[in-house]
Amino acid sequence: MAPTAAAQTLVSPIPGPEPARSVTGMLDRPMSDPPAAPLSKSAARDLWDGLRRPDLWGRLGWLEIKRRYRRTTIGPFWNVISLAVFVVTVGTVGAGLWNQAASQYLPYLTSGMLVWMMISASANESCMLFVANTHLYRNGRFDFSTLAYSLVWRNFIVLLHHLVVYVVVVGILAPHLISPATLLAIPGLALLMINGVWVSLLLGMFCLRFRDVQQLVVSVIQISLFMTPVFWPADQLAAGTARSLFIHFNPLYHAVQVVRAPLLGEAPAAESYVAVILIAVIGSAVAFWAFTRFRKRVAYWS
Amino acid sequence: MTALILEDVHVEFPIYATQRSFRKALFERATGGRIERNGGAGRRVAVKALNGISLALQDGDRLGLVGHNGAGKSTLLRVMAGVYEPVIGRILASGKITSCFDLLPGLDIEDSGYENIVTAGLLLGMSHAEIEQVIPEIEEFSELGEYLSLPVRTYSSGMLLRLGFALATSVDPGILLLDEGIGAGDARFADRATLRLQSLVDRSRILVLASHSDALIRQWCTKAALLENGQLVEIGPVDEVLATYHARNQAEATRA
Repeated sequence: MAPTAAAQTLVSPIPGPEPARSVTGMLDRPMSDPPAAPLSKSAARDLWDGLRRPDLWGRLGWLEIKRRYRRTTIGPFWNVISLAVFVVTVGTVGAGLWNQAASQYLPYLTSGMLVWMMISASANESCMLFVANTHLYRNGRFDFSTLAYSLVWRNFIVLLHHLVVYVVVVGILAPHLISPATLLAIPGLALLMINGVWVSLLLGMFCLRFRDVQQLVVSVIQISLFMTPVFWPADQLAAGTARSLFIHFNPLYHAVQVVRAPLLGEAPAAESYVAVILIAVIGSAVAFWAFTRFRKRVAYWS
Repeated sequence: MTALILEDVHVEFPIYATQRSFRKALFERATGGRIERNGGAGRRVAVKALNGISLALQDGDRLGLVGHNGAGKSTLLRVMAGVYEPVIGRILASGKITSCFDLLPGLDIEDSGYENIVTAGLLLGMSHAEIEQVIPEIEEFSELGEYLSLPVRTYSSGMLLRLGFALATSVDPGILLLDEGIGAGDARFADRATLRLQSLVDRSRILVLASHSDALIRQWCTKAALLENGQLVEIGPVDEVLATYHARNQAEATRA
């Protein structure tokens, strides 16, 4: 739609009085502003402009970490300690349950839990993405994607903390697991983070509109921890329907596997990469569609 | 060329899960936006906050928004700021839009004043370099001194206001959107705040001010717009619009 004729004549060049320029040392702005452009933003524009502001999403993510651990002496490492205690206790029990050597089971459990904690925390926090941040986008134009990037970034920082447990456990029990294949964890993490962006935007919008969805997400994530091979070794499940259901067709298994396998010194199966990439493509497409359609409703729903 | 153009802007706020009786009560309300049902079943209720607003502002325009509580003044400001995208219609703008709805967005009371300046500055769309440049000015104006390095939690509300005000008014506004009631604090600060706000307004190229104060509107605005039930009743010279506004108030008062 073109500007109406009336509107156009109203803005055509009758020069107004030139206001005094700022003398306060702000950066000089160009004297002539670009022609009037629509204020609304497309979903793609939002995603792109948001991504180009790492200063903003980096800071938002970092502040949240700081906030969480404020006024504690050892700060984020409380989490690390609880993960360490968890791994040692549950690991000892699990090693007995599944008749495995501690040097084999503990690294498996540790690396699995590392990834799982990142996935579950991201999913849970996604539900609050827009609900908890209304104060950030009620001021003016806002790139909602910065919230998603900051969420992914923050959970990446948390994972780096947890990595300490992995280094200690593997360093003591099975140093031979660290090999060149371990580097494959990096692309694996990158894939998970790409998935994190679409999940957080999609869940964020959904939970903003329907506030009770959050409980559902929490329960689903909790139950899936037991259905996904994190505690139990995948090869303990006999071939059959259950195996294909909980392993081959379990997206969370593949998501865990693209990072866990490298941490255990193995290359992930091609199947896992295909699955995670496929999820990223389909998920991003769905989330992009939803973001295009509902982006402008976010402010109204909040 | 700074400009702000609204074309047939409609804004509706959806209301979810309303009780039937509450809905009825809403329909009979005297002021505020018009409440409408969408869809055949009438299951979705929406408050029509803005109804077909069209206006165009250009360089040098100073527009005052007048109207009752709930007439749509604040909503209109927020739509102009880009918080809400119109349900129908569109808004065109050229120039940087500055709004002062929330003086310190992203405020974290555990962070120091300096840290909050950076967070809020980034959220207001400034870069680190730009923030660095305004910090001396904020230090000077807020007179918070050493406090700026302490957690904001230790500030009095007046000090917090000074910090927010100093930051919000340090920007170089193209299109400035003001909702009334920014400023105040203790007497000494109030005077300096008025001066500073005046300078902010002078630097802006377009001003839109929502206010219930005739004096403020007469002082700062060259045009005024009267809103009623989300509709633009009149737009024109300040005196004429204020006269209409008061005449309508009078008529309503006698009717009631």
